[in-house]
Amino acid sequence: MIEMRRVCRDYDVGGRPVHALRDVTLSIDDGDYISIMGPSGSGKSTLLNVIGCLDRPSQGSYILNGHDVGTLDERALSRIRGHQIGFVFQSFHLVPRLTAAGNVELPMLLAGIERTVRMARVARALEAVGLAGRAHHKPEQLSGGERQRVALARAIVMGPAVLLADEPTGNLDTRSGSEIVALLESLNADGITLIVVTHDPNVGRRARTRVQMVDGAIVTADAARLAS
Amino acid sequence: MTAFDILAFAGRALIGHRLRTGLSLLGVAVGVASVVLLTSLGEGARLYVVGEFAALGSNLLIVTPGKTETSGLAPPVGSAPHDLTLDDVTAIERRVPRIRHVAPMAIGSVTARAGDLTRDVVVAGVTPEWKSVRRLNIGIGQFLPTGEAGADASVCVVGAAIQRELFLGANPLGEMLRLGDERFRIIGVIAPRGTSLGMDLDQIVIVPLARHMKMFNLTSLFRVLVEVSSQDDLPAAQRAVIEILKARHDDEEDVTVQTQESMLTTFSSLLSMLTMALAGIAAISLSVAGVGIMNVMLVSVSERTREIGLLKALGASSGQILRLFLAEAATLSAAGGGAGLGAAIGLTALARRLYPSFPVQPPPWAIPLAVLVSLAVGVLFGVAPARRASKLDPVAALNRR
Repeated sequence: MIEMRRVCRDYDVGGRPVHALRDVTLSIDDGDYISIMGPSGSGKSTLLNVIGCLDRPSQGSYILNGHDVGTLDERALSRIRGHQIGFVFQSFHLVPRLTAAGNVELPMLLAGIERTVRMARVARALEAVGLAGRAHHKPEQLSGGERQRVALARAIVMGPAVLLADEPTGNLDTRSGSEIVALLESLNADGITLIVVTHDPNVGRRARTRVQMVDGAIVTADAARLAS
Repeated sequence: MTAFDILAFAGRALIGHRLRTGLSLLGVAVGVASVVLLTSLGEGARLYVVGEFAALGSNLLIVTPGKTETSGLAPPVGSAPHDLTLDDVTAIERRVPRIRHVAPMAIGSVTARAGDLTRDVVVAGVTPEWKSVRRLNIGIGQFLPTGEAGADASVCVVGAAIQRELFLGANPLGEMLRLGDERFRIIGVIAPRGTSLGMDLDQIVIVPLARHMKMFNLTSLFRVLVEVSSQDDLPAAQRAVIEILKARHDDEEDVTVQTQESMLTTFSSLLSMLTMALAGIAAISLSVAGVGIMNVMLVSVSERTREIGLLKALGASSGQILRLFLAEAATLSAAGGGAGLGAAIGLTALARRLYPSFPVQPPPWAIPLAVLVSLAVGVLFGVAPARRASKLDPVAALNRR
């Protein structure tokens, strides 16, 4: 359950304040499927980063699964990121020196999970994204679609409640892109909350709830339902 | 994360940049190796000197004219010392209890000639007892003759280097050696020994003491070695020698009487200081290596900014990022330290093989210290880069190009 009340995020850029988020109020139920769309600089990514606890609201309250994020310290936030949130990025963000398995293992390594357990869960996650045979390949040996699937396996390996995807198909051809979307949607069907930021209307319109942003504010689409 | 996981991650990051890792590792290795090697040289010098003194036996008093402290203070200006004469030696011999040998020695320098060959030599005038006091071995021939007649005989014993240079290695026994204007018959060659008590015994010519003092027209001895029966007799003998000589020298204490042990302690502590000083100099190169590590780690942090952002997104706390990068720096310097230590130990072993008489070896404290210091250098110089990494804002770090 995600609940935001009048969340603002202001940056200071060269002495001038920039309002990346203005009075964003929304609530997202567990298992929901939401797309966030809007022009560049409209605050989509900032909203996603705040939801993912990578960034904090300047004002307003954000409650994630009953925790008031504004009151948590850095350690607690990193714990939430590790255990309750999965991230998928446009540029994949794989560590080049690690194999596919090594990359998927990372969140569990940071969480202090025992090695034998890690190995088993890495294998399961790679199988879930259809890359069981690619476990020992380095990112440079994988295609773009395969890289994003490794990133997806990494995002779900801790069993998070929320999956955040920032332009997940932005660097992929159409076919790999739709494969990734299909994978994301099957995970959503299994109960994970899926929030996708995208430029691509073909991707955005597939979501159950669609959010349109302009200048840091939510302007249209199911706003009434979200603000309920 | 367990310590093992942290080290494994750090190790893999280091292996990912072989050249950079190798070069900064080399820096630490050179630093640690120089600490160990330089202290080994200092320690080798100390052990060498200690060994030299030990070879003399421990029942020795060394009497020299002039008053100096073992701590090295110069005599006060204006107190010209009396000569240390043969009569003084006779008095010591008669009146000091429990004496085994008294070995006076006079020193002069002169040009020696044998056939067409000449060279400058140090000529020592001694009595036959000197041989046993100095634990001298004769290579060929014999030492100075005993008895009244021997004391004034024109005979000499030469060092191994003299034999080599003036007789081109041929047997010189029975040959004549011209010292200044006088001729001496060679009756013995000292077995090769090297420097002992500040005198190179390979380069020396030894003649009877009385003959020597006449030849150089000397009134004062260079020094007198007094050997007593046992080490327990040393303090009493030392007091007695000082008292006797003071009485004979117008109630002025103008000789220095040292035990072999006190000289040993003085030299040993002096050379330990030298070793410390060398360690200090070498530590500078180690700190340079530390700066190298800091540089490499800073480069690594800025190159891996996106990775750091990713790790934070995946749940890494600032503390974990700090530990990961500290572990990387510490691994780097510990590996360098290990390599440097290995190289230094190998080199000192090689040096001992090449120069067996000079015991180059690291002092016992140098090895654990080198390991500790190299680890400390890594952690110390790794802190700043690791802090920088841990403080990165995850959003900005993720989006860095």
